[in-house]
This record gives sequence, structure tokens and C-alpha cells, in this order.
Amino acid sequence: MSRLDPVTLSVLASALAGVAEEMGAVLIRGSYSSNIKERRDCSTALFDAKGRMVAQAEHIPVHLGAMPEAVAAIMDRDAAPGDVFAINDPYSGGTHLPDITLVSPVAYGGEVIGYAVTRAHHSDVGGMRPGSMPSDSREIYQEGIIIPPVRLVRDGEYVADVMDLLLANVRTPDLRRGDLRAQIAANNIAEERVGELIERRGRETVLAAFDEVISYAEKRTREAIRDLPDGEHSAEDCMEGDGTTDEDIPIKVTVTVDGDSMRIDFTGTAEQVRGNINCPLPVTRSASYFALRVLLPKDILANAGTYAPLTIEAPAGTLVNATYPSAVVAGNVETSNRIADTVLAALASFAPESVPAQGQGTMNNTVIGSRGWTYYETIGGGQGASYSGPGPSGVHVGMSNTLNTPTEAFEMEYPMRVERYELIYGSGGEGAQRGGDGIVRSVKVLEGASLSLLTDRRRHGPRGAEGGEPGRVGRNLLNGEELPPKVSRDLDEGDVVTVETPGGGGYGESAHDQSS
Amino acid sequence: MNEARLGVDVGGTFTDLVALGGGGLITAKVPSTPRDQSEGVMNAVEASEVEASSLLALAHGMTVATNALLERRGARTALVTTQGFRDVLEIARQNRPSLYDLAMDRPPPLVPRDLRFTVEERSGPDGEIEPLDEASLEEVVSAVREAGVDAVAVCLLFAFAHPEHERRVGEALREALPEVHVSLSSEVLPEFREYERFSTTVADAYLAPKLAAYLENLAGKAEEAGLPSPLIMQSSGGVTGIDDAIADAAGCVLSGPAGGVVGAAYVGSLGGYKDLLTFDMGGTSTDVAPIISGEAQTTTETVIAGVPIKLPMVDVHTVSAGGGSIAWADAGGALRVGPHSAGADPGPAAYGAGGEEPTVTDANLFLGYLADGTELGGQVVLRRELSEKALTALGEKLGLEAEDVALGVVRVANAEMTRALRIISVERGLDPRDFALLAFGGAGGMHACALAEELGMRTVLVPRAGGVLSALGLAISDIRRDYVSPYLSPMDGVDAEEFEKRFAEMESTAAQDLTDPEHTRRADLRYRGQSFELTVDADTPGKLEDRFHAAHEQRYGYSMEDEAVELVNLRLISTVPVEKPDLEEPEASGGAESGRREANFDGEWIEVPVLDREKTGQGSEVAGPAIVEFRESTCVVRPGWSGKVDAVGTLVLEKGDE
Repeated sequence: MSRLDPVTLSVLASALAGVAEEMGAVLIRGSYSSNIKERRDCSTALFDAKGRMVAQAEHIPVHLGAMPEAVAAIMDRDAAPGDVFAINDPYSGGTHLPDITLVSPVAYGGEVIGYAVTRAHHSDVGGMRPGSMPSDSREIYQEGIIIPPVRLVRDGEYVADVMDLLLANVRTPDLRRGDLRAQIAANNIAEERVGELIERRGRETVLAAFDEVISYAEKRTREAIRDLPDGEHSAEDCMEGDGTTDEDIPIKVTVTVDGDSMRIDFTGTAEQVRGNINCPLPVTRSASYFALRVLLPKDILANAGTYAPLTIEAPAGTLVNATYPSAVVAGNVETSNRIADTVLAALASFAPESVPAQGQGTMNNTVIGSRGWTYYETIGGGQGASYSGPGPSGVHVGMSNTLNTPTEAFEMEYPMRVERYELIYGSGGEGAQRGGDGIVRSVKVLEGASLSLLTDRRRHGPRGAEGGEPGRVGRNLLNGEELPPKVSRDLDEGDVVTVETPGGGGYGESAHDQSS
Repeated sequence: MNEARLGVDVGGTFTDLVALGGGGLITAKVPSTPRDQSEGVMNAVEASEVEASSLLALAHGMTVATNALLERRGARTALVTTQGFRDVLEIARQNRPSLYDLAMDRPPPLVPRDLRFTVEERSGPDGEIEPLDEASLEEVVSAVREAGVDAVAVCLLFAFAHPEHERRVGEALREALPEVHVSLSSEVLPEFREYERFSTTVADAYLAPKLAAYLENLAGKAEEAGLPSPLIMQSSGGVTGIDDAIADAAGCVLSGPAGGVVGAAYVGSLGGYKDLLTFDMGGTSTDVAPIISGEAQTTTETVIAGVPIKLPMVDVHTVSAGGGSIAWADAGGALRVGPHSAGADPGPAAYGAGGEEPTVTDANLFLGYLADGTELGGQVVLRRELSEKALTALGEKLGLEAEDVALGVVRVANAEMTRALRIISVERGLDPRDFALLAFGGAGGMHACALAEELGMRTVLVPRAGGVLSALGLAISDIRRDYVSPYLSPMDGVDAEEFEKRFAEMESTAAQDLTDPEHTRRADLRYRGQSFELTVDADTPGKLEDRFHAAHEQRYGYSMEDEAVELVNLRLISTVPVEKPDLEEPEASGGAESGRREANFDGEWIEVPVLDREKTGQGSEVAGPAIVEFRESTCVVRPGWSGKVDAVGTLVLEKGDE
């Protein structure tokens, strides 16, 4: 393997990141649904021929760790130039069913030199409820159509039978067709751009760059880990019920730092549950990667090397490595946040100044719908305070970062009215630095409808750090009466649903505490 | 020069002037005066020696509004909003600015919590839901009085369609607090989506008092000097009178960059190049912009200093990389360039003013693109030995010779610029190979040929007036005002009479605001359910849908002929065109080659001719490798490129076949 000089490395790292970014631009530009186009619930990446990620353009952290499994899954299936594979099965490389991943071999001169990958959250993939985000699924079959790795395109031609089968199982087939077409266009641009790079720089140089950017990222991650003291620290947290029970469900993690490598072990975590907050392993990986990235210098590239120094142990059959056919749709959107919180809590023992206090730790998933319309929203809350400053208020803090729906757009679109959408001043935890404030959002329905809430942190507030106070817990209310964290209800005309989101934890003892 | 139009552009370092009239062009350059930009304006007029009484117009581009936003030095501003929605400005769109830096927050809102007040009232999509409570209005008025603010933004839900409550609140505030500036969201930006409308309106209130003070001061000085009343460049790329600029403060935040883009479009068009990507590389930042069919493009998606301002603004993309960007070795052993900049002080190592880290300028000097001993602005002298020292020191960290470091710095910087140019072309559905690259700014010409090669572009344009292109753009800008009327309706429900009536109303307002304006009717449309719009020409409602499908195809690569299309806004652009003179480039005076020097191309030192642009003229030819020295910048003609100076003074370079 030829070693690249520091200049070529830098230029090609930039060019490869540019390829992933352009894939993202093509996908967002070409997609039909607002979930991808506006909320940017999608990610794109370029992999090498060995199935290692070379460059990624990410918009959503929860997509981070799950792509390599998807690529590995299709490498077993004789992928040939001109093929495009689709996959969403959480038990063979997916995360939850709405996230459909397309993988294409990238060929040069007839030889497969890498893979282009796009992952997008499709707003409906069938299943028991519109929007494919049911709060009450008990096995994966209820959550939508399951797509194992199958060819959607073979030798440049659509495989019509597969496309027809897929579209027959979703509620909005035209949008799905359009979004899938945009994903294919994004995969195609990768092959075109990598081809151009090879024409300009030479095949050997570009392939060497794949190796080099990966080992470069690994080197930088190892340096960051080496800066941490060696040792072993554990942390424990919990989910507040799974929709079938309100019991706390523990998540336990032990992080070991040994020189320049890190091990994250989830032994001790609860068994998988009957509700749908289970996580397939890729989701657990994503959440662990997220926690690691919070510690790393922000200019490190994201690729296979970034995560190479990390090993993850998650016993099969537990909440963090659920087995088929457990329901998993909320693992991706709720449990993932708690896994990240727990790993960060353990990491804080190694580097207390680099890890903020806990943020709201939930996406407050709210689904209201009736015949003919479905509204899905996630609501921001308080971020934890940090060594360097107070926690931001009213933001997404963990594995999501999607935009809100403007009230004026909301009221023109749905038979509902927003009565209140404000910060809850003082809901962030006290401390030398205050936690960020949560949000209160009250919605009145103007006709009968059904409600699903998938929320957490309603009993245990986000913890403070270094002596800071916890943030205030969230609350769910129907006409002023408190509801459980995970719940489905029928609503009458005039009912008011209020979601109060948690405040972030404080950081450090407040001056008041120190003086007393 | 008689009957000339003046353009005066205030930049970070210099204030540039162009006087244009009778085919002639006079330029002047004086230091900027940051404390009061108008002093630099008057100094520039004096330096140009134009006769004040003979001038047709004085157009001005400035950074007063931009700087006030960037430095958060606007007026103390209050917000009055609907009960239950006090924090729209702070929640924003609820996304965090950095995925992994959890401590990073968005820039603070322009109005802090204790200056946000609510009134009891509510309107919805169909009009009033809850009447405006006069008692709560009285309380708010006295709270605003006690807060001692200079400006108030009134932003109520659904006021874009039902402005009655906002008007009543505005009336009460103006009556009780006549000295306080009041901005209403229904006047500043009558469009739906509350966060962006509130943000734009608050920016307007926040900037208006400062801008008013500055512009009134400037107007006074101009009058004293016998100059025409200044016209002010707006972010949209058109100029307007002082009073209108003050009334539309949020529309002035891109006053500076707009001139450059308009100037580039003008110069390109004169030479017959109407589809351009502009590349303006300065000391600390680089602006790139697309120009299509000779027109600067506008967008309503601009965010400045964390504040979305949803008014039409020239579509400029800025990256913080320029000649002063510092090269460094990161912990992984890669050569990196920027984002830190040496700025003007201490500046690149070559300045000898204390900068010890090598910059892009140092690399260009070492490679022979810039001449050793070049004087900048009559003050700084570039010293190649200092650049070499800095490059050598960095090379020791990377295991490279100084020469390889210098070549590397240029390649890494070019990689960043290439990405910026891709963003404004590919992401907008444009193929850069269909465009010419128009380079200006101090460093633009040095990098243009290499960037064009990266992007597969075959034509590079370097205008003679590249150093003062913004001022030139000001001098030829049309007077312009933008109007918008919200009209939310499915296309098949659009009433042709209503459509005509709304445009007629806007046109009659425009006729009062401007003298004999020309009108362009446009409309924002979207597919039902989409959450973004595209703007198309809208002379009659009949052709709107077809145009929308075509625009969607161009921008997003597909259209959906079967989907329902919705009308969102009607827009009127009213302009009073000014006469745009031709530029005339004299014949060459002969003997353009001022010398030869060694320059490095792709690792090879070649002795190349150095041409003095001031001595070349219409028809002068150049074949790469060569260097052409302009008055304020340098153009590197790479091997394989050749061209000549055209009739309007632009150096047109073409890439030969390989």
C-alpha cells in the first residue's frame, strides 16, 4: 500500500467528504416527502470494497452506526455493478422499518471498488398505524413491511416485481417511489464522482486514499482516547416502562479505557421487553458512537477508523441487542437516547469537564391522527449545562435533530390548534451553570382523533453533573389530567393534549449551595 | 467627467469608488473608517476629484447593518407577541447547531426573555379567534415604556393574513411612545411561518435606529458637499432612497456583497457571458454566487449571524477561507488550511508584522505567483524569505520541503473553494461546465484557472475593474423595491380577478413609491403539502402551473404533473432602470511584458512572462504559463490556458484541448 503525503491526504479527504455531501444534496433535492427534504431525516456515505465506511454526510446521529451492517449484508449476495439493494430489516442491517437503506456497488472499469449508501426515514412503510410509528406494537410484523436485502435495481433496470410488492404494502406509494428514486440518484452520483476522481488522480491514489483517511481518523481517535486515564467506570439508568408496563427497565454499562482503545459493555442491562422500545444492535452501536463523538475533537472525520478503537459488548436477547421478532420501532427514537445518556455518564468519570450534564433524554414523540390525516412531531427540551456554559433551551439534545412544524403551517394543515408553545422558565437544573429549559406545548383537537405518546423522563429528571441539580421531569396531560409516559388514547373534539418536556441538568454546585 | 454615476462601496479595509460616464471609468481607493463609514465615503469622493454638481447619482453599499448584527450592537429592542407564544424567537426551529458539540448553543436571540411581552389575542387561518384585549394591550404598552427600549417588534400569529390586531398594537405603541421605532411583522414580511417572520421583523426593529442615524448623517454630509442624495444598495441587488432604506432596515444586511454580484453580472454580460459563477476571494473570506442569463439570483433563505432574514437577497455563499487563511499540521499529520486567518494584522508571515504561521498568500508568494517585494496599499512590502521561513517550519512538522508545503497549501485551499463552488451550482441543479468562472477580489485571479480545471469549466474571466467590482455594481444598479402579497390557495381555486386586483394594488403602491417604475410579477408556488416554495414569473395566472413544474424540474430534477399545485405569495419587483454605459478598453500601448520570473506549476519551476495589465489593452494576447499583474490583484495563467483582453477590458482565458 502506498503511503500518501500529507497534502494528497488532505485534498482527497476533502474530495471524498465532498462526494458524500453531494450525495446528501442530491437526495435532499430529489426527495418527495418533507420528512427527508425539510427535516433532513437522512444520511449518505461512501464505503470501500472491504465494507468499511470512508466518508459520511450525516444529518441524524442515530444513522451513524447502522450502515456498516447494511453493507455487510449485501456483500454476501454477489452485488454486481448496476445493482441497487434495498434493506430495512432491523435484524439484518436496519434500525427500524421506516429507515430504508439503499446500497449500490461503486464500480470502476467493471470492478467493484466500493459501495454507495443512502439511508432515509420514509414517512410510511405500512403496518398497523399510519406513519408506521405505532406506540402499541408488540412484534415487528405490526410495524410495517420488512425488507431483507433485495435487489431493487439489477444491471441498471428496476426490478419491477420487487418495487410493486413494496409499494403495495405502504399507504403513500407515490411518495415512496419518489423518495426511493432520489436515493438511487444519490447512489449513482457517488459512482460518477469517484470515477472522476480516479480519472484525475489515478486509481491507485484514490484507493490508497480510502485506506489512509480511515487510518488517519483511527489515529486521531486513538490519540483522544489515550488522553483519558486508564480504568473502568460503570453507570446505570433506566427507561420508564415500555408501553405494556410502567416499571423501570434498567440499562447498565461499563466503559473500560485501556491505552488507546475503549470497550463498552452492556452486561447487566434488562432482558428485551414485550413493548416496542427494544433496540437491535445497530441502534446500540449508533448511540455508543454518538457518546464517543461528543468526547472527540470536532474536526475528526467520521469513518470506519473513527470507531475502530471501540469494541461493544451487548448480550443477545437484552434491551440493547433484541432478537427477532421483537418490536423495535421506539428503540430507535427513545431507548437510543438513554443508551447515549448512560454511556456518557460512564465517560464523564474519565473526563468530567468534557461531558455535559444530561439533556432531556427523550424525543417526546407525539402522534395524533384520524381518518385522512396523521400528525407526527418530536419536541425539543432542555440540554444539560456544561463546564463551559449553561445548557441550551428548547432543542433536540440526543439522537435526533429534526426541525419543528411551524404553528401557522400546522393550523392550516390539521384540524387542531396550538394553545401554547413556550419555554418552561426555571425547568433546567440549578448549578454553577444552569440546565436548559424544557418546552410546554398544548394542542386542542377540533375533531375526534387518536393520540399516541412515546416519551420518557417523566419520573426521573435528567441528572446534574459535578454537584448540579437535576432538570425538571416532563409531564403528559390530557385536559389537565396526567397520562403515563407511553400511552394511546381516543380524543374527543375540544380535548387539549399538553406535553411538558424535561429540563436539562445543571453543572457544578451553584454559588448558593457552596456558601451554605 | 460629466453626468457620471458614482458607486461607493465600504469594505473591511478599503472604501472603493467608481465613477462611470461617457464610456469612461474613474476609480479611487481610500482606507475605510470603521467608526463612521460615511467619512470614508466622503474621502473617496474627494480623492476621485469628480465634480459634485455634475453627478447624476451617488449609490452606496455599506456594512453598517451587517456589522450591527454580527457584533450584536443594534438597538435595545422589545417584542410584543401573542399570548402563549412568548419564546418563538428563542425556540427557533428547535434544532441544535452542532450534532456533537452539546455545549454549543445558537447565537442568543436579538430580544432577551425580559423584553418579550404578550397580549391576549388570537387569530387563526380563517381570521379572529379571540379579540384583542385592550386591558392587556395597555399593560404591555406601559411595560414597554418602563423597559426603556429604542425599538419594538410586533409579531402576532397569523398576522400575515389578518393584520388587524398587529395594526392596533402598533398604533397604541406609536401613540404612547412616539420616539420608539415600531416594526410590524405584517408590514416587514407578510408571509406565513411564524419563526422566520418574527426573526425578520425583530431584525428590522433591531437595526432601524442605528441605520437611520448612519444614513441621516451620510445624507447631511452629501448635501453639504453638493452631492445628489445617496441611493442605498439593498440585499436584493437594487438601490433605494435613504427613507426607504431606513423603512426597510432588514433589507440592507447584504448591502455590501450585493454590489459585487451585480457588478459581476454587468461586466460578464457586456462581454457576452451571461451564465457565470462569481468567485470573489479576499483576505479572510470568499464569496461565490451563480448568475443566470445575466441576472444575479436572489434567495429568501439567508441566515446572518444566526438570524434568518426571509427577504429577497442576492444568493451569495460565503466560506471563511481567503489569502490570510493559516496553514497548519493537525494531530493526524494532515496539512490543513484555515479556518483561522491571520487577517490584516499581523497578516501573512511575508508582511513581517509578527505573523509566523504560513498563509495561502505566503504560499502564492513562495511559488512566484506574487512578486517578491510587492507593495500592498503603499504600506506593506511582501518578503519572500519570511514566507519561506514559515513554510519551512511547517514542513518540518509534516516531513516536507517548503516547496511541497507551498504547493500543498494551494491545493488544499483550492479543494475548499471547489466545494464552495459545487454548493452554489450542483446543489441548485446547475452544471458548472455550462458556466464561466468570473474571478475578482485580491486573490481570485490567482486561483481561478486551477479551480476551473477541478470543476471542468473551460472559461475564466478576469475583469479589469476586479478590484472595485462592488463599487462598479453600485454605479449601475437599478432602483428597486420588492412587494409581497400572501395569497394561499390551491391553483384551481385562484380567482383571476382577485389575482389581478392584488397585483394592481401593489403596482399602485409602487407607483407612489417610485417614479415611472417597471414591474415584474412573480409568484411563489409549491406542490400541496410541500413546505418550501419556488418563485416563477407570473404575468397571468394561466401559465403559472407549467412554469412551476419546469422550475421544479430544473431545481430538483423532477416534476409531478399530477400533483395539486398551491399558490402561496404574489410578489412584485418594481424597478426604475438606470442607463448602463458600455465600458471601452483602449488598444494596447505595446510592450506589456514587464519582466520574467520563476513560478512553480505542479512542482516544476518555469521562467514565465509577467504582463502588466495597465499596459495591455483590447486584443492583447496571453498564453500560459504566464502571470498578469492587475493594479490590485494578480492573475495566474496556468499551462494550457490562453486568451486575450476583450473590448470591455476583461481578460478572457480559455482552456485548450489536451
